[in-house]
Amino acid sequence: MADTVQEFVFNLTFPFTRTLGSTLSTFSSALAQGQIIGVRTGGRVIAPPLEYDPDTAADTGTDWVRVGPKGTVSTWTWVPEPTNLHPLDHAFGFAFITLDGADTPMIHLVDAGSESAMSAGMRVEAKFKAPGDCVGRIDDIIAFVPAADPSLSEGAGEPFEAPEENDITEMDAYCDLTYVDNASPTTTMWAKALMEGRLIGQKCPQCARTIVGPRGMCSVCAIELDESHVIEVADRGVVSNFTIVTPVQYHGQTETEPFVRCSIMLEGADAVIAQQEILDIPASEVRVGMHVECVWAPESERSVEDIDNRSRGSGGDAILGWRLTGEPDEPAELYLDRMM
Amino acid sequence: MAPTENDIAIVGFAQTAPDRRTQLTEADLVLHATRAVMADIGLDKSEIGFTVSGSCDYLSGQAFSFVQNTDAYGMVPAINESHVEMDGAWALYEAFVRLLQGDIDVAMAVGVGKNSNSDPSTLYTIEFDPYYLTPLGTDTWSLAAMQARALLESGKATERDFAEVVVRNRANAKSNPYAQVSGDFSIDELLAADYVRNPLRLHDLPPTTDQAAAIILARGKRAYDLCDRPAWITGIDHRIEAHLPTVRKDITTSVSTRLAAEGAGAGKAPIEVAEVHAPFGFQELIVAESLGLDASTEINPSGGALASHAVMVAGIIRIGEAANQITKNGKNRTLAHATSGPCLQQNLVCVMEGDQ
Repeated sequence: MADTVQEFVFNLTFPFTRTLGSTLSTFSSALAQGQIIGVRTGGRVIAPPLEYDPDTAADTGTDWVRVGPKGTVSTWTWVPEPTNLHPLDHAFGFAFITLDGADTPMIHLVDAGSESAMSAGMRVEAKFKAPGDCVGRIDDIIAFVPAADPSLSEGAGEPFEAPEENDITEMDAYCDLTYVDNASPTTTMWAKALMEGRLIGQKCPQCARTIVGPRGMCSVCAIELDESHVIEVADRGVVSNFTIVTPVQYHGQTETEPFVRCSIMLEGADAVIAQQEILDIPASEVRVGMHVECVWAPESERSVEDIDNRSRGSGGDAILGWRLTGEPDEPAELYLDRMM
Repeated sequence: MAPTENDIAIVGFAQTAPDRRTQLTEADLVLHATRAVMADIGLDKSEIGFTVSGSCDYLSGQAFSFVQNTDAYGMVPAINESHVEMDGAWALYEAFVRLLQGDIDVAMAVGVGKNSNSDPSTLYTIEFDPYYLTPLGTDTWSLAAMQARALLESGKATERDFAEVVVRNRANAKSNPYAQVSGDFSIDELLAADYVRNPLRLHDLPPTTDQAAAIILARGKRAYDLCDRPAWITGIDHRIEAHLPTVRKDITTSVSTRLAAEGAGAGKAPIEVAEVHAPFGFQELIVAESLGLDASTEINPSGGALASHAVMVAGIIRIGEAANQITKNGKNRTLAHATSGPCLQQNLVCVMEGDQ
């Protein structure tokens, strides 16, 4: 085990375009015009509106009601240090705010200046982005602020006439999360061996199978394997399976041409090493049963910086790929069912 | 009791030592927990008819982590396996239902979570309503804090009451060898700390933990092969409320907990020990009231979820601890509670009894 544990920081980011459906489309289209609405269902006004009555599961229908822009805080908290996902970059409150004309609260920010300005019962009003910046998303309201005039909102509780067709039917959403993983003992052993130009496996003392790359356990016997079970395996073997990936240009895809990823059964091993690249031949010529050998990166150029727990068994930048040895192919049927 | 073929008991429970930051993977943690529970009761993996786990990819940030975790089961030859993206307590519920089919007599439920990879102040934004809450960065601490504030405003509790829950659980945790957080604290000392989310302070928040736990269930007389005094599950139920906390009528109480407790028959006889899953300390007050517990019930002798809180594991540990009270500590009737979602959205209640 290494003296210091390698950590990996990775960011999980993916954009979504969500379709809104009729209820949320109506809400969003009105919001973009600076009007907050709720829906009357089961004798109460739910704002922001939901598609189904939470009590009865009945369709909430189209009895729209104008609510706000002022409302009353019923419960609140204070965020002294906002995260990157919060819309404001300075301390602010979150609150349950029952808008004038509504019977249920909505959750939103309160930009109150200081924690001491917050209280249950405080009157607040919505502060919108500039009209040109509103896209019909809940954060079109930058935050609620203490109401200058605590009197009831004008027009709150009155019916809202929805247009025949809504302007806004979709919403951009995103996921942006940062993770910090650390290399497990087995990942650390694997990465260290790669830097030395060696492939290692772990031999199970119970079933005698050799698993590559190390997993820290025998996945047949369900027993723990450690450093004492490590054995060296050959850097040559037979292609046991492959797929040709035709890249779709999704967000983050850097490949443009079809490419092969294959599984290789190494000599002396009982489990395949997966997701390997074949060099020198076109994708269409890759076959199950081919003898291949590892092409190592020159020692000075090897890197295992991207070998984390998620990519165990990958060669990182230590292995350039695999090339044909020229030996005659093995019968494919001996290899096709070898998965592990 | 003389068990019928439809009676199901907990016969084994093991957990890994909770860790603020483990170097192990989730699969490693699963292996350690499942090996420990099988060794403890002398069970071979070939005797397990059904295996089910609860975990969540988003915690460790690894896609299909639950598939890699199955390496730890030894799936050659193929096993009967399932997974829930929920706390292991709900995996246990599935195992219970699976055993009721009557064709197998032993099942294993697992919970695993490597929580230290992610940031709890941002991660759970993606758990919430994607239209009304996620774009605001609404975080789980803020939602819990607003529930706590509502409880204060209702007059049902004070900030001293919140601190008392923490003091009591941390003191109880001293005798729990699997506690990550424990010790003697005073209420005044705790109340002197700054707010993280008013009115919650750091000690009111769940610890961040990497951990796994495994429970073995057995049906009918098979239970006695594996355990001298099985913890028979006499009732288990779970209920869920609306995902938007704002449309619940009163977040200072837990309707779903009350209904689950009724469904599990909690009130039919006194409860000696209850293990309550309250990620935020003050939530213990809401759950205890909704369960209908009174002073005769000892709550959280383990230190509860404030002693360790791996999301996906803390609930099944409550069940394991409450079962241990029967299998190892001579108690006759105990209750375990597990929760999931913001502001106690979903709740499970499991009532267990020992032979008398």
